[in-house]
Amino acid sequence: MESAIRLRGLHKRFGDTIAVADLDLDIEPGEFFSMLGPSGSGKTTVLRIIAGFEQPTRGTVSLFGADVTRLAPFDRPVNTVFQDYALFPHLSVIANVEYGLRVAGVGRRERRAKAEEALGAVRLAGLEDRRPHELSGGQRQRVALARAIVLRPQALLLDEPLGALDLKLREQMQVELKELQRSLGITFVFVTHDQDEALTLSDRVAVFDAGEVVQLGTPREVYDHPRNRFIASFVGSSTLLEPDVAAALGLARAPMAVRPERVTLADSGPGAPGTIAEVIYTGPEHRIVVDLDGLDARITALEPNIGAHHRRERGDRVMVGVEPAAAAPLEPEAA
Amino acid sequence: MQLGRTARIVLGTITVVVLGLVYLPLGVVFLNSISTSESLSWPPPGFTLEWWGRALESTGALEALGTSVVVALIASAIALVLGTLAAIALSRYRFFGKETVNLLIVLPIALPGIVTGIALNNAFRTLMGVDLAMWTLVVAHATFCIVTVYNNAFARLNASGTRLEEASMDLGAGLFTTFRLVTFPYLKSSLMAGGLLAFALSFDEIIVTTFTAGTGVATLPLWILQNMFRPSQAPVVAVIAVILAVLSVIPLAIAQRLTAKDAAAVAR
Repeated sequence: MESAIRLRGLHKRFGDTIAVADLDLDIEPGEFFSMLGPSGSGKTTVLRIIAGFEQPTRGTVSLFGADVTRLAPFDRPVNTVFQDYALFPHLSVIANVEYGLRVAGVGRRERRAKAEEALGAVRLAGLEDRRPHELSGGQRQRVALARAIVLRPQALLLDEPLGALDLKLREQMQVELKELQRSLGITFVFVTHDQDEALTLSDRVAVFDAGEVVQLGTPREVYDHPRNRFIASFVGSSTLLEPDVAAALGLARAPMAVRPERVTLADSGPGAPGTIAEVIYTGPEHRIVVDLDGLDARITALEPNIGAHHRRERGDRVMVGVEPAAAAPLEPEAA
Repeated sequence: MQLGRTARIVLGTITVVVLGLVYLPLGVVFLNSISTSESLSWPPPGFTLEWWGRALESTGALEALGTSVVVALIASAIALVLGTLAAIALSRYRFFGKETVNLLIVLPIALPGIVTGIALNNAFRTLMGVDLAMWTLVVAHATFCIVTVYNNAFARLNASGTRLEEASMDLGAGLFTTFRLVTFPYLKSSLMAGGLLAFALSFDEIIVTTFTAGTGVATLPLWILQNMFRPSQAPVVAVIAVILAVLSVIPLAIAQRLTAKDAAAVAR
């Protein structure tokens, strides 16, 4: 199958800084693909290169088999939802959504119908004549979405589109984005620094660090098997185990990462002995930090909040267990 | 911030004195325009509307007014086109010598008018070998009118960044469509403000005008200067001055409102 977006040897330098380092990436048609990374990791630059706002220093961008590396943004069959929405302040909501069709020379009546349909798809019908500054953040975000999808792009590029929304609204928009992507059936390329968002929404996630993709896979692969320390700590939280700590827990003598919810605590039985150093109540669960005996190491476990009858206290003695399948071996650090 | 009683009185007095120094003479000009004394003697011996009638019939004054309006309009139009283009170039593109170009565009507003006047006079007459005329005056005025348009447009373009233009191109619009549908509407109020300021600057300019206007080309300021000390014309000059003072408030007020609206729009 032909890739929706294919990047080959993509390299971008800004002065002395390497923003993107020889990147190869294939994004499949109909895929919800996230580019996840801290700020400055190169993910937004990659998105801007795909959109055509930046020219790569070298390398190519192909969309459905066609090389578009040298094409201007207006000649590419992709559309972008910008981080700050970039709505045209002097145009009404409907005129914003119609903009792309108007520029393409679509007749007045047809573009009105299509724009209203797009506004309906993002549940904004009835606000056609408002100006952007009269809308809430969430509504602006929907206008930006409608403005981009009305053109039926082959791929939709989203640059941290939910970053400016508050938590409740963000969670609601996540669901709607996912539904929209499914009903449109087009490729979504989603840039975010929020690992939660990336895991929740994506078919596949590319984790960026210092201009490179350090891990590429399904959310489950990335979360359960982080390849190195950076991914283990950036995507979700992990306890990093030094080789002798791993060995004491009955695992291979190698650097490992283990998710707190995969660490089991027991009053007796197999495992490594330790003393509870901290119990943090978070509502749905208890976050329990254990000092392992004789190891100068700590490990964090999560226990669901299932009521008051069985509660662990600071100073309790526990046996700590980690199943071999629950620990992810980490690649040695590049020196 | 709270001020003490003494401080309030002192500051209030200073404010009144300063504003009085600025506006009392304007009041005197108005009184002169309706005084029966031809030599502007003080206090006015009596009042008459004769000078107002004479002023409105004075062909010299009306012709000068026409010349001033035409020169200011053409100079502002040139400034609008060139100032906008320069602002786009300097806010949107990177090129060699950009900072220098920026300085060179803004400099004419800071240069003493007498220097600009002498320089242009020399350039026109000796370097280019042309006679001074109306168009030399227009060109001279355009050199400093560009600055107000450029400054307004440049500030607005820098405040917005390139995001709107990127959005437009992302949606399929080319460079010119983007300018027509996004950049220009966005700049419109800034350009109005800059254009009005340019008009006002050109309208009452006298130093550069003296050096670059051809013989027989009299702008209103030139006409006033020439007639001010003729006994029979002095009250007529006062009338013209009053009319100018009233007229000059209008573009200033519009420009200020536009700028305030812009600031609000950018802040949103």
